Amino acid sequence: MFIHNFKYSLKVLFRNKSLIFWTFIFPILLGTFFHMAFKDIENNETFHAFDIAVVNSPYYENNTIFKKAINEASKESDNKLFNVKVVNKKDASKMLENKEITGYLEFSNSDVNIIINDNGIYETILKFFVDEVNSNKKIIENTVNEEISKGNLDYQMVISNVMEKLNETVEFKNISRSNLSYTMIEYYTLIAMAALYGGAISMYIINKNMPNMSSVGKRNSTAPIPKSTLLLSGLLASLVVQITGLILLFIYTIFILKIDYNSNIWLIALLAVVGSLAGLSLGCIIGTILKTNENAKSGILIAVTMFLSFLSGMMGITMKYVIDKNIPILNMINPAAMITDGFYALYYYGFESRYIFNILSLIVFSLIMLLISSISLRRQKYDSI
Amino acid sequence: MTVFKTFWKVVKRYKGTIIGFTLMLVIFGSINMSSNDVTSSFKETKPDIIIVNNDNTILADGLVSYFKENANIIDVKNTERAIDDAIFYRDASYVIYIPDGYEDNILNGGNGNIEIKSSGDYTSNLAEMLLTRYIKAIKVLSKEYSDKTTLLSKVNNALDENSKVELTTKINTTELSRLSRYYNFASYTLIAVILFIICLVLSSFNKETTRKRIVVSSMDYKKHNKYILIASSLYSIFVVILYTILAFIIFGSLTFTERGLLYILNTFIFSFVALCMALFISTLVKNKEAVSGIVNVVALSQAFLCGAFIPVVWLPESVIKIAHVLPAYWYINTNDFLAELEVLSFTNLKPIWINMLILIIFAIIFIILNNIASRKKMVL
Repeated sequence: MFIHNFKYSLKVLFRNKSLIFWTFIFPILLGTFFHMAFKDIENNETFHAFDIAVVNSPYYENNTIFKKAINEASKESDNKLFNVKVVNKKDASKMLENKEITGYLEFSNSDVNIIINDNGIYETILKFFVDEVNSNKKIIENTVNEEISKGNLDYQMVISNVMEKLNETVEFKNISRSNLSYTMIEYYTLIAMAALYGGAISMYIINKNMPNMSSVGKRNSTAPIPKSTLLLSGLLASLVVQITGLILLFIYTIFILKIDYNSNIWLIALLAVVGSLAGLSLGCIIGTILKTNENAKSGILIAVTMFLSFLSGMMGITMKYVIDKNIPILNMINPAAMITDGFYALYYYGFESRYIFNILSLIVFSLIMLLISSISLRRQKYDSI
Repeated sequence: MTVFKTFWKVVKRYKGTIIGFTLMLVIFGSINMSSNDVTSSFKETKPDIIIVNNDNTILADGLVSYFKENANIIDVKNTERAIDDAIFYRDASYVIYIPDGYEDNILNGGNGNIEIKSSGDYTSNLAEMLLTRYIKAIKVLSKEYSDKTTLLSKVNNALDENSKVELTTKINTTELSRLSRYYNFASYTLIAVILFIICLVLSSFNKETTRKRIVVSSMDYKKHNKYILIASSLYSIFVVILYTILAFIIFGSLTFTERGLLYILNTFIFSFVALCMALFISTLVKNKEAVSGIVNVVALSQAFLCGAFIPVVWLPESVIKIAHVLPAYWYINTNDFLAELEVLSFTNLKPIWINMLILIIFAIIFIILNNIASRKKMVL
């Protein structure tokens, strides 16, 4: 009987177009949108040499310190700051207006003016550059004065010494972790969402077995089969459908979108399966505890899933971080966050306690949900009317 | 009137959906409200950094106080986990570890043995520039001044340069870009709310039993369609007004300036396109379950590809090319243009008029498609 019901549950599920759309096709579509929209976002946030202009004037020509510094900063190298064009004032302001340049420098007798059109990081860096040249001038003056007061009159030598030191590159030991791509979180929340959508599948199966929900439910309830057999076979079928959906999603993201999950694929798969179980159990509990019609139940399930995904960072990863930092307990009981955090831990820290903790939390969460559902399903009786 | 009333009765049943999407607009459309400073002068970007100071010396404290001036110090728990998390989620873009023995190393001509962590984005570059500049200055000046306090004050004095900056823009770009982001995000919720509700309402009218009941009634089908059209137009206008009021609550009087009115006009035209699209989709799709799938795909695809969620400048070229065939692209293009335009005049606004014309053409295309589709349905 178990196999019989399992087989028919599978058939019913695979033939339900709307369920298949939401669990199979929708995550794939969403993944495609993510991929298209986020492809360049991190690349855009890294530093690129930007364009500036300098107004051509005798003041600029005679300002050897700045001229040298500008040449140095626009030279092709790893430390290149900007591309520079020397033009007349009219062209410079036209270029600024057309947003061809970040800003331009205009030299006067003893001063330099920075003309920009906006507040932003590149504008700040341009100002930083000018400040730095001015600071270096001050440092040189200070040093020369000190040396002269100490009796060292060879100031040419002092200047070239200081200049050399100021032009030296200073290296710091970078101890950052690798794997810093934060758009990965978006794909993790996508998998979390797909796993939790499994709730819709199990809820559908529960509804099919509840006499107050459908005529099939009435028919099933009168059959001389233990409830547990019916439910377990139905849930197993849901899990199979759910995992099929996830496998499709993984195949699509790994081979077509070329997402690099960058760690042991089996650990990822394990997390996805445990996550699906949590999703199914969530569907079970909403399906059994709420005594309302099918539409209302699925509305509530979608709302709950969306809210949980929102807290776990689907609509912006900052949300997950803010909650992790301030109300960590909230994400510890949120299955969507457990899934996302498990993937995050695996990606960023590798296989260690944080990942295992998330797996265990998901299992505990699923067991509690299933336990509550089974208690509320037991010994249900209907009055004779 | 019965048709008209029924329309609103069904709309009322879906008020949860409308409220949900509107809440989303309020939360995400007005995000970053904290950086709420009105700037007519230049404001430097400060990198967000974390400093771990393990050297309890005067020079180490000097470095910390220099960064307190020039960067935003982020407060996190002093564990490696918390710091790594902060870097990953870009709460901080740069971490500076001042090691024990920093002062001695600097005074002996070293670089201080500083270790860093970096998120690799441009603000981390800025933080590194600040650090490099500071270390260079202190290295050079430490040769001249042996007293640490004098040394620090000389370093701070040398680095305390504030070059003259002239900001040419006369408009408040920060405020305007926020308003434009609000409207950009509204393109998503607008499509979702209009498409969703109108399609659902019309599919209730199209339910077989209801349909039969309507057909046998004495009302002329033209009159019936007219009421539906009026009711759905009123509904779209209601949504635009609702969003305008919300914009007014969030952004105040900016909403009704000349520029603000152009945003509203643009939104109004866009809602008309959404309405025509909704009517077309509801002719094609009669099944309620299919409606929510299709509406989600239509709304999300436009939101992701046209710049409602992520600013257009950050989208890849290829995606922007694809986006040209979607109406939301032209709507968002107008919003972005308005945020940056210096002077408003009829000729300056030419690109906007063109965008609006394109939106109207989209609407006409949907009307024509709708006619073709409904004629075919009649034959069937």
